[in-house]
Amino acid sequence: MRDPVDAVFSALADPSRRFVVETLATRGSATPTELAAGLPVTRQAVAKHLAALRSAGLVEASRTGRETRYALTPAPLASAVDWIEEVGAAWDERLDALRRLVEPGDKTPRSRK
Amino acid sequence: MEVVREIELKADPEEVWEALTDESQLEEWFANDVELDPTPGGRGVFRWDNGETREATVESVDEGERIVLRFDDDGVVDLRVVATDGGSLVEVRESTPSWSTAIEFRALAACAIR
Repeated sequence: MRDPVDAVFSALADPSRRFVVETLATRGSATPTELAAGLPVTRQAVAKHLAALRSAGLVEASRTGRETRYALTPAPLASAVDWIEEVGAAWDERLDALRRLVEPGDKTPRSRK
Repeated sequence: MEVVREIELKADPEEVWEALTDESQLEEWFANDVELDPTPGGRGVFRWDNGETREATVESVDEGERIVLRFDDDGVVDLRVVATDGGSLVEVRESTPSWSTAIEFRALAACAIR
């Protein structure tokens, strides 16, 4: 079995597959036909891309009647993205405050003490 | 999973080190209320006005250069100070073991294509 990280990288190396991931991120879910409408490739090619994304664990399929809809695998990915964004934003704020603390303002001469 | 930030500061490394390790200076930028014994094995308690409290143990200290805090939720904050021509460079790494490497890469990929 391939390394899951490799699988993700190779799954996202292809621009059509990135388009699929983007579309699913915006729309929530889509069928292969809907996805093919936005791409210069056939429905069959889209199905192959979806299979690659699925085996990388990036998307999941759900069947309703004759229709198979695809969506991004949700919760852990979303919370991990939230963590990166929240912790990053907190540090951006703190480091700005640190700058205000240690850098002399316009009024203060450069060399104090 | 890790967040990395760098900031260049027009201040001497010694001064910046103080700001990173002195309780009253940490209260100016890191948290609203800080207790910290900045020695290996020392304890830190950080409180924010929104009610959040995080407690940590000092994992290691290279005096004047680097302090690593391990929080009780297993998150790690690694702060380094490097002297530069114009003053100092501070590098921050905050990591959490909450997500596996595979999910981490998926999150990074998702951020990258946003």
